[in-house]
Amino acid sequence: MRKIRVALAQIETKLGDVSGNKEKIIQSIYRSREAQAHILVTPELSTLGFGSGDIYLDRVNENLDALEEIREVSAEAGVTTIVGFVDRDDRGFYYNAAAVIVNGKIIGRYRKVQLVNYRLFDEKRYFRPGSRLPVFDTPRARIGVLICEDVWFPEPARAVTFRGAELIVVLSASPYDRGKNTLWKDFLKERVRDNILPFVFVNQSGIQDGVTYWGGSMVFNASGKLIKELPLIEEAFDVVEIDLEESRRLRRRDIRVREVRREILEELLRAYEDMQR
Amino acid sequence: MNETIEIRLTQEELEIFKRIIQKSILTRISKIGARGGVVALSGGIDSSLVTVLAHEVIGDDLVAIIMPEEGVSPENDIKDALNLVKSRGIRYRYIKINDAVRWFSSLLPSRDLSDFSTRLTIANVKPRIRMIINYMFANLENKIVLGTSNKTELLLGYGTKFGDMAADIYPIGDLYKTQVWQLAEYIGIPTEIIRKKPSAGLWKGQTDEEELGHTYYEIDRVLFALVELELSVRETAELLSLSLESVEDIYRRIIRSEHKRKPPTITRLSKMCLDKDWRYPVERY
Repeated sequence: MRKIRVALAQIETKLGDVSGNKEKIIQSIYRSREAQAHILVTPELSTLGFGSGDIYLDRVNENLDALEEIREVSAEAGVTTIVGFVDRDDRGFYYNAAAVIVNGKIIGRYRKVQLVNYRLFDEKRYFRPGSRLPVFDTPRARIGVLICEDVWFPEPARAVTFRGAELIVVLSASPYDRGKNTLWKDFLKERVRDNILPFVFVNQSGIQDGVTYWGGSMVFNASGKLIKELPLIEEAFDVVEIDLEESRRLRRRDIRVREVRREILEELLRAYEDMQR
Repeated sequence: MNETIEIRLTQEELEIFKRIIQKSILTRISKIGARGGVVALSGGIDSSLVTVLAHEVIGDDLVAIIMPEEGVSPENDIKDALNLVKSRGIRYRYIKINDAVRWFSSLLPSRDLSDFSTRLTIANVKPRIRMIINYMFANLENKIVLGTSNKTELLLGYGTKFGDMAADIYPIGDLYKTQVWQLAEYIGIPTEIIRKKPSAGLWKGQTDEEELGHTYYEIDRVLFALVELELSVRETAELLSLSLESVEDIYRRIIRSEHKRKPPTITRLSKMCLDKDWRYPVERY
């Protein structure tokens, strides 16, 4: 049976503390190696800390240097590392992104497609949205990477599913408010059921400036069973083994992924355009 | 989204709220390198709740300051405050503010308390005296000031600017008054404190509900509909079967008090105006 061991680093990142956050990520890589994990997933924007405000703009270089060091440690440890950071393109635009590091190489960068800009969030002040939903071929599995708000919409997960993802990982920095943890559990379960794929959700933990990142990282197997749940609010680290063949077995009879009709997807796009008019 | 008034917290939420509030106190203290906190303890429910929550996590680094105006502050409040600190071994100071109130009042042209504006002015001086004492002892021992305002008061503007509203953090500032009652019960605040009629202690015999013209139960339902459910005044009145006037009265209080919930407005002259363009967290590293 093909399995993957995934490490979840539910880090308490500190706002703007790039060197401290980097140290926590590096320690997590070493712990992952010790625990014989194949891949490690960190929370969203874990080099800078979600909610850093204008610090995002001040410390992009520092954060890119930190990513470089993380890449080196990841190579040395032999652990595929998926880490949240602030990316910058050639034109100087910034993105809320995740780097996928395999054997010391950044094999790809995913840029959050659904930026959050309501209530306490103002990501559009700092970031551009990504518009691509790639999958990443790592030694153990083909992985779809999404960031936080992306999962509130069914479409991004659907796209990486169509691209052949065997596992979807979600990097997150979700602030707590009443019922938020339950709401997320429901969302994730829906996404798992639609796509018949295992999901790994890693959330930031801790409290800063009165905002609580509730932790509670979760792993669901392809049949929608919650197989790991980390503690609320506090920093935590854990490793979970996921069966990568379960999805294929379930999909023998469950046709919902392979038999989506192209005409329906085209109709969906037309309906969307009608709504925008 | 669910358009129902769900103010009441579940047991699970009460536990999470308690943990978050306590951790947020600890986080701020450690971030700024302070050595604990001070809290003005009146013997009312809000300050008793903050005192006990803080004491559970910072122990002797908390100092509760009991600052009655003897003869005006209700005697059972003073007694409840003293019982609370003594029964739980909480460090405290007892400072009566009568002399300070007398001195400030002597500066006024009239001391005729039947005059509403004189009465209100003096009423506002008292929490400001307590604020000075709070910050004096906070400075002395490198502590932060824990505010005791709740969401209901903050929304209504039912507090004195730079008085009881002056603080470094508001640990219970996102809890409605009726949720404060629930959390107080959950963490074991004595029932005599919970059952007491809420009073800002502005003058003798004053009660909040009488002054506000509504019960806290009613007010919280209206606020919840307007703020959490984002309903209009009309929709709120319909949902709660209340008169348009009573909902409007509460809505006007929210609007009029916006200035109390914000730092002073800076007149913008540069492209980096500090209250508008400059956005940095307080707890930055």
